[in-house]
Amino acid sequence: MSTKKKIKNIIVFILLLFLAIAFLYPIFFVVINSFKGKLFISDAPFALPTSETFVKFNNYVMGIEKTGFFNAMKWSLIITVCSVLLIIIFTSMTAYWITRVKGKFSNILYYLFVFSMIVPFQMVMYTMTQLADRMHIRNPAGMILLYLGFGAGLSVFMFCGFVKSVPIEIEEAAMIDGCNPLQTFFKVVFPILKPTAITVAILNAMWIWNDYLLPYLIIGFSDYQTIPVRVQYLVGSYGNFDMGIMMAVLVLSILPIIIFYTFCQKFIIEGVVAGAVKG
Amino acid sequence: MQKTTKKYFPIFVLPTLIAFFIAFVIPFFWGVYLSFCKFKTIKKAEFVGFDNYIAAFKNDNFVNSFKFTVIFAIVAVIVINVAAFTLAVLLTQKVKGTNLFRTVFFMPNLIGGIVLGYIWNSIFNSILKSYSTTIANDAKYGFWGLIILMSWQLIGYMMIIYIAGLQNVPTDLKEAAQIDGASRWQQLRKITIPMVMPSITICLFLSVSNCFKLFDQNLSLTGGAPQRKTAMLALDIFDTFYGNNTSKGIGQAKAVLFFLLVGIIALTQLFFTRRKEVEQ
Amino acid sequence: MRIRKLLSLGLASTMLASIALTGCGDETSSKEEEKGSVYYLNFKPEADEAWQAIAKDYTKETGIEVKVVTAANNTYEQILSNEIEATDAPTLFQINGPVGYANWSDYCYDLKDTDLYSWLLDKSLAIEGEDGGVYGIPYVVEGYGIIYNDAIMSKYFALDDAKAKSMDEVNNFDTLKAVVEDMQARKADLGIDGVFGSTSLKKGEDWRWQTHLANLPVYYEYKEKNVSILKELDFSFGDNYKNIFDLYINNSCTEPTLLGSKTVNDSMSEFALGQVAMIQNGNWGWGGISEVEGNVVKEEDVKFLPIYTGAAGEENQGLCTGTENFFCINKEADQKDIDATIDFVEWVFSSAKGKDAVTNTLGFISPFNTFSDAESPQDPLAKEVLRYMADSTKTSVSWNFTTFPSQKFKDDFGAVLLGYAAGTSTWDDVKTLVVDEWASEWAANDAN
Repeated sequence: MSTKKKIKNIIVFILLLFLAIAFLYPIFFVVINSFKGKLFISDAPFALPTSETFVKFNNYVMGIEKTGFFNAMKWSLIITVCSVLLIIIFTSMTAYWITRVKGKFSNILYYLFVFSMIVPFQMVMYTMTQLADRMHIRNPAGMILLYLGFGAGLSVFMFCGFVKSVPIEIEEAAMIDGCNPLQTFFKVVFPILKPTAITVAILNAMWIWNDYLLPYLIIGFSDYQTIPVRVQYLVGSYGNFDMGIMMAVLVLSILPIIIFYTFCQKFIIEGVVAGAVKG
Repeated sequence: MQKTTKKYFPIFVLPTLIAFFIAFVIPFFWGVYLSFCKFKTIKKAEFVGFDNYIAAFKNDNFVNSFKFTVIFAIVAVIVINVAAFTLAVLLTQKVKGTNLFRTVFFMPNLIGGIVLGYIWNSIFNSILKSYSTTIANDAKYGFWGLIILMSWQLIGYMMIIYIAGLQNVPTDLKEAAQIDGASRWQQLRKITIPMVMPSITICLFLSVSNCFKLFDQNLSLTGGAPQRKTAMLALDIFDTFYGNNTSKGIGQAKAVLFFLLVGIIALTQLFFTRRKEVEQ
Repeated sequence: MRIRKLLSLGLASTMLASIALTGCGDETSSKEEEKGSVYYLNFKPEADEAWQAIAKDYTKETGIEVKVVTAANNTYEQILSNEIEATDAPTLFQINGPVGYANWSDYCYDLKDTDLYSWLLDKSLAIEGEDGGVYGIPYVVEGYGIIYNDAIMSKYFALDDAKAKSMDEVNNFDTLKAVVEDMQARKADLGIDGVFGSTSLKKGEDWRWQTHLANLPVYYEYKEKNVSILKELDFSFGDNYKNIFDLYINNSCTEPTLLGSKTVNDSMSEFALGQVAMIQNGNWGWGGISEVEGNVVKEEDVKFLPIYTGAAGEENQGLCTGTENFFCINKEADQKDIDATIDFVEWVFSSAKGKDAVTNTLGFISPFNTFSDAESPQDPLAKEVLRYMADSTKTSVSWNFTTFPSQKFKDDFGAVLLGYAAGTSTWDDVKTLVVDEWASEWAANDAN
């Protein structure tokens, strides 16, 4: 039994190893080609760079220069971080109020938020762009506001599910101690909500960082382009883009995510599971 | 206590609500209204009843993209879920390096659709080059390209949900079955699958909704080539809106239809999950 | 406790304030700027850098803000329709001719009283509305044809039993075909990978075929029927189009089935690196040749040949010259922005600095009398265009693709050409699509 199990484990291990290599290959492919001259990419795409084809970091230098990559990264970061912070603070408060203040109005609000989760973006993209334009919010601050609005559905829904399980007695105790609802929320309830807050933060961060269509429509023609918009603008539309530079830009755009993932993978995976099970 | 909290509405709810109205509520109802209008620019919208909807149904691109989306979703959902479930089973066998494997399989999920599409576009074109063709030549390539891409992206995501489900299966139940002489297949069918049914439902609907709403990957991998044969619904709607300035009303009508379709799927999901909960 | 409360209140109010502020912020700042500003939506990707530089110079000189946004290939109409409704809409945009004017007439400002119009050499080129106003002014004259590398051609003509002895003999399709096919067969002797550069059919990269090459059959059909526009096309010169298109894709450095991954820039590089002898493009493509790293083509070897398709009387055919670039100024913009925009455009085409950028950086042949003969672009392709225009024995082919019904027509035409090259569509599919969609898109235009 035990030797049989050992053999079986080895077979499973080898199978998984093979699959893991297959999963990593696309990234490996982009990385090796990002170090080759553009002519060699089309000639021998699967070969490792050789002394003849190796161009050092030229593609990266050119890529950063041509795309203004750091500028795009700056705006991606600012928009993602600010949006996620606002979403966590405001939607948890909203969820708390909706759950604790019972009534028709709360119910309507709750169902409106849930409803927004199933509506595809295409349904509102045109009118939303028009509205944003009229309000003069086609800028990063406006983006943050819009992300709060779009993120509200899922986030409020998830927080609501959790607030229900918070024992109301502790809140009452806090109130009796003289806390107003705001103090009660931040002192007593929010610390309990922390695991959900992390989940909500991760789900929203992943979505906002990678989002393309909303930033394209709102700030696609300004200096505030985010990474996905910049990549599509340069790689997708201008066919005259150098393959080597394109590979370098692709590597640059996945690098921050991979670094972030390496450090926070436990939270990310747990967050995603929690999000999926509750959502 | 409720009363005091209620007074705090402006602080607790208003900021979210304002953003929510700007981003969603107003655009949604405005969008429904505009789907009944003909307009080049929004200032000159003119009510035309159901004309846009009729035009949408008559539009070959829309009908084709609908068919393509449905077939794609069916194939992708099956491939992704079977593969993810198998991986999850393998990863719960307590072999060495489980955590590392899990990390690797999940990683592609974090990469954005636009970037993902371009990575795979260059890989496919490099492979197809030896057969003297490109991904833009044949809708078959585009179709399977999208399937491979989506599998790569979603298998890891679904896998971790299945793992969570599998870990909930009590080991004593399995051991008891083993003692009773149940074969591995019987164990899987009679114990494991019923126990992870909630995970299966979640994964099925997550993958269905991801496949139906697919846009970024579609745009960057094929852009609809050849001849719009690989354009999915979301891309077709986008192109109807911004492809020329005479068909925005039709685009909005298509968007409403798209919304109804996704809504029906979501309601079915709700129905099934509720029923499952009752059964348990 | 207090701090927490303050913090959260602070956040809430910041957030509300930011809604309010972003709202008024822009307005107050634009009220302060009494000068107005310019927002130019540029059509030509290859000219993006040059326009950005011109804008910077202008701002430095006058303090007027000029924003230049460039649309990617084939997306101009899409971006324009998205941007024109914006509150900060482009003040300066362009239309491609009568069809563009029909689409955008609501936004075109009457330019009749501007200096720019008075400078226009040939007033008939401008786009006039039914009320007699001038709504679009062409700002560049361009020519396109087959660009060839004279060094490679001379090498060929020197070979034994070459099908022709000099480029002068190549003045019709049959000779061109004989020469090209012979060259392709002896490509090893000539040191090339193929005669023609890649017929780029990647999405967004197909405009040389679905617009420029497609001009020829349309030109001949209009000429035969003696009209200047048709809402229903017979595509009676479709076989002529097939002649030249087949020649391009079958005698190329790239297999026809791989053309869907090729870009315009790929083919320009192939030409610049001496791998091919011919490519179809216009004089705007000079930068695409000269800026290629490792460029081996000498400036004096870069020449133009008219595009022959086997139509009767083509021996006297010249290059395709005309314009699809008409400046329009957004009527809906604030008057001060309109004035600022007119000033900007007039500066570009009349000041020494502006004119220098137009001729030497943009490489434009300008249709304005503010430019002297000496102030014409000095690149070999522009010089060739001017030479053909001056040659009285040649008849220039006018640009009739300005009457193509829509971008959708062009995109779908390009897509079916890709199918034809890849072997998944037949030539009949191409013909059917052109005839049907021409009619249906015109019907759709007229319905609006």
